[in-house]
Amino acid sequence: MKLPLSTIVTIVILAFGALAPFIFGGQPYILYVLTLALCYTIPAIGVNILYGYTGLVSLGHMGFAGVGAYTTALLMKDVGLPFVPSLFGGMFAAGFLGFLVGIPCLRLRSHYFIIVTLAVGMILFTLFNNLDGLTGGAEGLPGIPRPGNIEIGSFVLDFRSLTGFYVLTFIIAALIFGLQYILVRSDFGRSLSSLRQDESLAAARGVNVFGHKLAAFVLSTAIAGVGGAMKVLFLRAAAPLSFDMNESINLMMMLILGGAGYLVGPVIGAITFIALPEFLRVAAEMRLIFFGFVLLILARFAPRGICGAAEVAYRKLTNKEANVVRYT
Amino acid sequence: MSAILEVSDISKSYGGIQAVNGASFTLDHPGIYGLIGPNGAGKTTMFDIICGRQVPDAGKVLFHSSRVDGVEPYKLARQGLARTFQECRVLPEETCLDNVLFAAQSKRMTSEMLQVFTRNTKHRRDAEVEARRLLRLINLEQYADQPASDLSYGQRRLLEIVSCFMSKPRILLLDEPASGINPTLLNTLRDFLVELYEETKIVFLIVEHNMEFIMSLASTIIVMHQGRVLMQGAPEQVQADESVIDAYLG
Amino acid sequence: MATAILEQFINGAMMGSIYVLMALGMVLIYGVMHVLNFAHGVLFMVGGYLTHLFFFSWTGSYPLAILGSMVALAAIGIVLERLVFRALRDNLRMQIVSSLGLILIIQNGVVQIWGPHALQMRPTTVETLVKFGQLSFTLQHFVIMGVVAAAVAALYLFLTHTRLGTAMRATSQAPEAAVVVGIDPNRVYTLTFMIACALAGLGGALLGPLFIIFPQMGDAPMLKALSAIVIGGMGSVPGAIVGGLGIGIVESLSTLVIPTDYRDTITFGVLILMLLIRPWGIFGVRVRGED
Repeated sequence: MKLPLSTIVTIVILAFGALAPFIFGGQPYILYVLTLALCYTIPAIGVNILYGYTGLVSLGHMGFAGVGAYTTALLMKDVGLPFVPSLFGGMFAAGFLGFLVGIPCLRLRSHYFIIVTLAVGMILFTLFNNLDGLTGGAEGLPGIPRPGNIEIGSFVLDFRSLTGFYVLTFIIAALIFGLQYILVRSDFGRSLSSLRQDESLAAARGVNVFGHKLAAFVLSTAIAGVGGAMKVLFLRAAAPLSFDMNESINLMMMLILGGAGYLVGPVIGAITFIALPEFLRVAAEMRLIFFGFVLLILARFAPRGICGAAEVAYRKLTNKEANVVRYT
Repeated sequence: MSAILEVSDISKSYGGIQAVNGASFTLDHPGIYGLIGPNGAGKTTMFDIICGRQVPDAGKVLFHSSRVDGVEPYKLARQGLARTFQECRVLPEETCLDNVLFAAQSKRMTSEMLQVFTRNTKHRRDAEVEARRLLRLINLEQYADQPASDLSYGQRRLLEIVSCFMSKPRILLLDEPASGINPTLLNTLRDFLVELYEETKIVFLIVEHNMEFIMSLASTIIVMHQGRVLMQGAPEQVQADESVIDAYLG
Repeated sequence: MATAILEQFINGAMMGSIYVLMALGMVLIYGVMHVLNFAHGVLFMVGGYLTHLFFFSWTGSYPLAILGSMVALAAIGIVLERLVFRALRDNLRMQIVSSLGLILIIQNGVVQIWGPHALQMRPTTVETLVKFGQLSFTLQHFVIMGVVAAAVAALYLFLTHTRLGTAMRATSQAPEAAVVVGIDPNRVYTLTFMIACALAGLGGALLGPLFIIFPQMGDAPMLKALSAIVIGGMGSVPGAIVGGLGIGIVESLSTLVIPTDYRDTITFGVLILMLLIRPWGIFGVRVRGED
């Protein structure tokens, strides 16, 4: 049975991710960077569902990640809930806020929706920065605990260790990736895709445009919430600057870099954006200038990102016809 | 027996222009109906209102006795109202086969989301067989696995129309299907529409500017002028009617 | 109480004038080219930096430095239009990506060249104080308002009384028709970008010396200007003016009743409300039909 290229790539990436602790066991810095990259991969998957498949641009998504982050942090730190319920709490909080924001805002046309997401992100940032009693204000919340250890027989998974937390983040990222797969490779994904391609046509063929957009938006914000939670658990501290407009824009850029609309796009984008500069070891500004140029080149010549360019190259090499995702 | 489509006293204006002004007509039985009229007659607005894209200021539209004016297009689609677009819309990134299949997929979100687990059921295999048959009808079966954007305009028009039939509609509304089609293909288009009608025996309501095309295709013509329905009758009657001739020339 | 209101009113009018400059640039680009240029904020910031550079390294004259930075920004505008935006004309998403890329390049480029610390300049207009009773403002406050008023008047005359200006208006309203009557759209687009960037640079040149010149100085004004054009109406020049002044004044007055930290929230809250209730803005025209 011949597997499509995308499946092969996915398996390779998953295998690499699963084996990373063994490959890089002696190099904690690499594992650290990979963990951080995974913490961005998760919200990037959320944005992929929203933008890559449904075609909606959100420039405020890290605000929702922040909602998930602070909620989970507070549940674990102040309320003392264990990890899993706290994570779900963060996810629901972010998703619910997405629901509240989505209902009035998703009816807007594309230009206006983009601006609204910017504004929502800014408002959330202001709230994170100023609700000192709840969020610790500009200083943030330090001292966020790691999840408790898991003991299976004599085997202990210690999440306070880098390796342990990497494994946890990888598992959660893989689950979210699996969720993306189920949603996207189904009729639901095809309906979302039809919204991106031609909304009027989709409506005329029976797609509840608003309902689907809302579902996609809520899913994407809930997933962003999970990503935000993992990030602050990893860094053991939550701060507003982690979730400001620059972060939101970086998130979109990661996805575009990797390839929006591809299952592995967010993974490749996040790893490239986060990990590559760390390994290149140049001054922070130079990396960002470099990325600015990468974006300009992408926008002009490769709007479908790394995955898109790879697909084009693959097709040319193997002389295949246009590779269209088959749903049946 | 109740009428299939009943349009009663529809009025619609925007910005001071009265586009439709108390128009009424009834489609009693299956057939191919043409909706014609000079520019500004209100037929496009009327079409949009029936399709749910615009809400009338007054009046009502009944489809099999239930009100459909002001109902959102996607709900009408689920009730069996299918339509094509003047500018010919297909999903450009999907294959021709998927374009046809899309019309049939359940659009209810939960069943959609779980579909990845129900991929190979008999229901879906039957759907694929039917979709290929429809593609064969328009001689596009060889393009089944190619993106719709690869097709020529005429081919896309046929694809658009045939996709509607996957969902077994009860009425098909066509918005200027002949526009942009070069004359040699018009006969093919006409024959195709006739063939589809014979197979399904539903109501086709076609808004058209191309007189020769619509007169040779429709069994009943409805003429609109200045927002009202001027007359409804067989093509020969309509072509001979003085008030219709005046409307076009005056 | 009344003095507090007057004080905030004048501050608001001054900031509002700056927002007007930014908003005019953005509304011109949007109206004529249908491009949402998020990079306008960094261009504003570059105007501030170049003014500082010209003032200290080239001419000790503040007006000349301003002029110099406007010319430089206009040149940058030509380059950006030709190299970046021309090829992306109908592609909203990639334009946004490009403008975000530009922000990264320009903002971080400035930090590379000038360092992360803020710069200061104090021309005489900033040093000179104007007093009304208990209140005192710098002369710069009024210079800003005056210069912006003059710029708005000049722009108005340009758009209505010159061939190029009329060509711009024609292109924004009916691009295909404009081509038919012989207007070269490329020239119009380049000109639009030039003017918009020059206005942004002027804004930075005026505001920078009043406070400080730093790499992020254009971020908040860009968002306020964006809000202004949305509230005023996306393609509308009068809308940009009303929106910009309105936001400046309301923002300033609101600090009398709510904590300063939440001042931005007011603007964005109004923005969101406007989008939900009347997305085409105060002066905008409602466009029927779907996307």
